[in-house]
Amino acid sequence: MLTQREIVSTLEMLKNENLDVRTVTLGVSLLDCAGSDLTQMRQRVADRICRLAGELVPVCERISQKYGIPVVNKRVAVSPIAVVGAALAPAEMVELAHTLDAVAREINVDFIGGFSALVEKGMARGDRSLIAAIPEALATTERLCASVNVASTRAGINMDAVILMGQTIKRAAGLTADRDGAACTKLCVFANIPEDIPFMAGAYLGIGEADAVINVGVSGPGVVKKAIDRALASNPGMDLGDISELIKRTAYKVTRVGELIGREVAQQLQIPFGVVDLSLAPTPNVGDSVGEIFQSLGLLAIGVPGTTAALALLNDAIKKGGAFASARVGGLSGAFIPVSEDLNISEAARNGHLCLEKLEAMTCVCSVGLDMVAIPGDTSAETLSAIMADEMAIGVVNNKTTATRLIPVPGKKAGDQATFGGLMGHSTIIPVNNAAGDNPFIRRGGLIPAPIHSLRN
Amino acid sequence: MNKAILSILGRDRPGIVAAVARVLFDQGCNIENVSQTMLQNEFAGIFIVSLPHGLAVETLHEALFKRLSVVGLHVHTKPCEPPEEAGAAKPSEPFVITTRGPDRKGLVADMSQVIASYGVNITNLQAVFKGGNEPGDNLMIYEVDVPLTIDPQALARDLRAKADTLQLDINFQHRRIFETLHRI
Repeated sequence: MLTQREIVSTLEMLKNENLDVRTVTLGVSLLDCAGSDLTQMRQRVADRICRLAGELVPVCERISQKYGIPVVNKRVAVSPIAVVGAALAPAEMVELAHTLDAVAREINVDFIGGFSALVEKGMARGDRSLIAAIPEALATTERLCASVNVASTRAGINMDAVILMGQTIKRAAGLTADRDGAACTKLCVFANIPEDIPFMAGAYLGIGEADAVINVGVSGPGVVKKAIDRALASNPGMDLGDISELIKRTAYKVTRVGELIGREVAQQLQIPFGVVDLSLAPTPNVGDSVGEIFQSLGLLAIGVPGTTAALALLNDAIKKGGAFASARVGGLSGAFIPVSEDLNISEAARNGHLCLEKLEAMTCVCSVGLDMVAIPGDTSAETLSAIMADEMAIGVVNNKTTATRLIPVPGKKAGDQATFGGLMGHSTIIPVNNAAGDNPFIRRGGLIPAPIHSLRN
Repeated sequence: MNKAILSILGRDRPGIVAAVARVLFDQGCNIENVSQTMLQNEFAGIFIVSLPHGLAVETLHEALFKRLSVVGLHVHTKPCEPPEEAGAAKPSEPFVITTRGPDRKGLVADMSQVIASYGVNITNLQAVFKGGNEPGDNLMIYEVDVPLTIDPQALARDLRAKADTLQLDINFQHRRIFETLHRI
């Protein structure tokens, strides 16, 4: 028999605290669709995705109804297209991108990820083609997401790739100038990219993965915030150790939901279940914010002194609580701090509490990086590359994933508003130090070597 | 072996279970199952007991009545039917229906009628009505077994339609979600 408390608490999480499964992402291997004939490849890719993912959305909706838990996004992640389409020219890559976008629309998934390249140690022909195709591919599609891994703890930082990505982001922003550079909201640059991220824009299916796999991304910043608020109201003297325990217990519950839904989707689709990515992923809705958690913890706003320590506490507790709740944890697993996607973080940027440098410091202890950060449109490609290089260095040296999703908003300057729509949200443009200036350090290119602790074998 | 089922009702106070158990022991009965609950200040207990050879249900009832009626407790005793053959129960999935909304007469009657019309069995019902229009103060929780031959979403649709006419906020969820969230 269920207790009244168990039932009321569950209903509260669902009704008032935005508990949901943020994404069920089906990974689809396209490696055996590779070839040099574009027409044939497009057909194979479309057939493969439709065959495996055709039922993804209806199955997720049925299971969502069964448990009364919203599954907010249904997505597909494919093998890195730079590998699948290694023989293609950039213009052909763009056509393949259109195929992926059309398939995503046909099977009604929100996003399709995997327009990706892994170039941390060097670039092959397919990688160069893909990166050259990214601006047009993202500007002319709706649901396609791209990512490029330019660094790893084992390989170091491929600065030639970092330079190229600075130029690529500028071009992508320019091609979508009428939409505040929205193409850049679908492009992540990574260090140490995991092979099983269910969240966009970084989701792709790793080379070491099976033919198909279901990965799940949970969320629940609202649940964590309300748990902290309730606990502090009944016991104002709680110390940070107590609060950490509370967040762990809450993260456990949130993750369990993801595990339950993911396993059932996998079972019904007869596809192996992969991992739960136990991240706190906000949306631009009130009560679904990571930023609000910092205020519940007692900070004036996210960004003020104390923020990095609070984020370290939060990230650690989420990982520990979630790890116990799931058989296999993967992806990014931690707290996200996407500026424009989180109403409260966006507000902190507008009020001047949060600057680029503080965000960078926070990425040392969170699970992602400089995410959904709108910067002035006159930021040069070199400065973009320099910001990326800094972020990659944090990931490489600290043996963790870091990423950037930077949007240089064409024609707009620091303090202006940028609007990307839907889940991508809106944000005040953050000032960048030496935005338009040149940067001879970055221009040198080459490879920043891997740190000494990469020599583990 | 013969069995009896007894129900005990009365104003709650310390010693009720002890008094019942003492009579049962004195009569040589063995307690097989007990469920007791309290609603507001009232005690309700159900006991299934096995009877020793030669003890009639009526004799047991008289002994219980003699001991318990003097302290204001009501006793009902009847022979316990043997359970249905194993496998006779229809395979089913457990769901939980919860409603919240303004208190009014007939809520349980209306909702349970829809449940019954599908041949769905209520395995547990908890209802708290504090009155007034505060939704959280008026809560009904039905745990039900939905036979596999029935489309749960059809039942959910009809329940929602009925709940709308009663201004109730309704949830229809598989029981596993509650266990998953709160139990290790």
